[in-house]
Amino acid sequence: MSIPDWVGPVAEYIFEVGLVNTLKISAMALVGSAVIGIVLGTLLTIRFLPSRALIRLYIEVWRGLPILVTIFMIFFLLPALSQQLRIDDPLIAAALGLTLWGSAQVAEATRGAVQSIPREQHEASAALGFGWLGRHAFVILPQALRRLLPPMVGLLVNIIQNTTIAQVIGAPELLEASERQVERLTFEGQEHAIQIYGAVMVIFFVISFPLTRLAAYLEKRLI
Amino acid sequence: MTPLDALALVWDWSFFTENADELLAGMRRTIEASAIGIAGAFVIGLVLGAARAHRVPVVSPVAAIYVEAIRNTPILVQIFMLYFALPQVGIRLDAFTVAWLAVMIWGGAFNTENFRAGFEAVPVRYREAGLALGFGRLSTFVNVTLPIGGRIALPSSINTYISVLKNTSLMYVIAYPEFTTTALQINALTLQTTETFAALAVGYLVIVWTMSAAIRFAESRLALPEEAR
Repeated sequence: MSIPDWVGPVAEYIFEVGLVNTLKISAMALVGSAVIGIVLGTLLTIRFLPSRALIRLYIEVWRGLPILVTIFMIFFLLPALSQQLRIDDPLIAAALGLTLWGSAQVAEATRGAVQSIPREQHEASAALGFGWLGRHAFVILPQALRRLLPPMVGLLVNIIQNTTIAQVIGAPELLEASERQVERLTFEGQEHAIQIYGAVMVIFFVISFPLTRLAAYLEKRLI
Repeated sequence: MTPLDALALVWDWSFFTENADELLAGMRRTIEASAIGIAGAFVIGLVLGAARAHRVPVVSPVAAIYVEAIRNTPILVQIFMLYFALPQVGIRLDAFTVAWLAVMIWGGAFNTENFRAGFEAVPVRYREAGLALGFGRLSTFVNVTLPIGGRIALPSSINTYISVLKNTSLMYVIAYPEFTTTALQINALTLQTTETFAALAVGYLVIVWTMSAAIRFAESRLALPEEAR
């Protein structure tokens, strides 16, 4: 059994364009979510009401909205509000939308992780002369980040899978790339949608499955 | 002029009155598809979760494959498969069917894990006590494991139902006129983007926040007696 002629160009496009862009969006969203989420989550543990209420609102809004709506907001609503806010690159718009959602998840997880560090750790480091910033940067966060690792791996899986939502604004990630190939072949009178979307599912599974296993393993090891 | 002043100039309250009927119809379809999906996900989760927790031969490994296959692939690709790929082999599902079926399959997989974890958290001694009292395996499950494990699984399963509802917005790609699709169609005609997204945000947040409040309520009301304070 030989590989049919249509497979080569399809696979090349899906891997070289689709997979590369999926990984690009995922990387941007992961870094953005981690940075913003850890900062907001740490600030959330301070007993200063106005900032807490604002961060709570941020978390509840971006966790509550469907990611599809958030991505559309960034792509359509921002330019409607002001031309300076226009984001032309759908990859960036999608990464921003995923970052809003992801940072809300990370903030919530960080709050839990920071609060799970025993009070004695705060008191001991305060006794050693650390201020709030030094206490968190050198004592609390390094311990909290360890507990944050399993949910972060879980978040990465979710981010990778949710990059497909960028398809709706035409970002050429895996799903959009494969849809273009399905349509091109349909135009040429060939139907291979099941094979192509099936292959996309396999690609996502091959990436996600080891990561979900890793998250489960870390959860057992670190807690 | 600040951006806020500009917003005040273009903001049009009549958008909401003029499009209220259509927006509410979209919301109704979102709730319809979600309700069917949630009901199905509940049954799938309960049955397969119980099979997983009790390691029922054949059913348990098949359920494990189903759970891993669904959880490790994007739901949007699953929707594409159901709506755009299955017609290739002669299976044509209409948009509404795909809307509830896709979220049901997806929610069922996540709910299987929720219920499995809940049932497995029930201390073995409770089950042994049930069996020692002469209950059969099934009635031990119904009278002991289900009431206790079900309560443990409740918060995480409501979280899954919230995700199910939010995922119906993905039916935009198959043009099923649920809430998001309806709002964006109105936007395409009126170009009142600010009002459109305000309506979308408020609509979703009201439902999602209500469901989150239900989790907290359920947690406090249904807490196991030894955990209630």
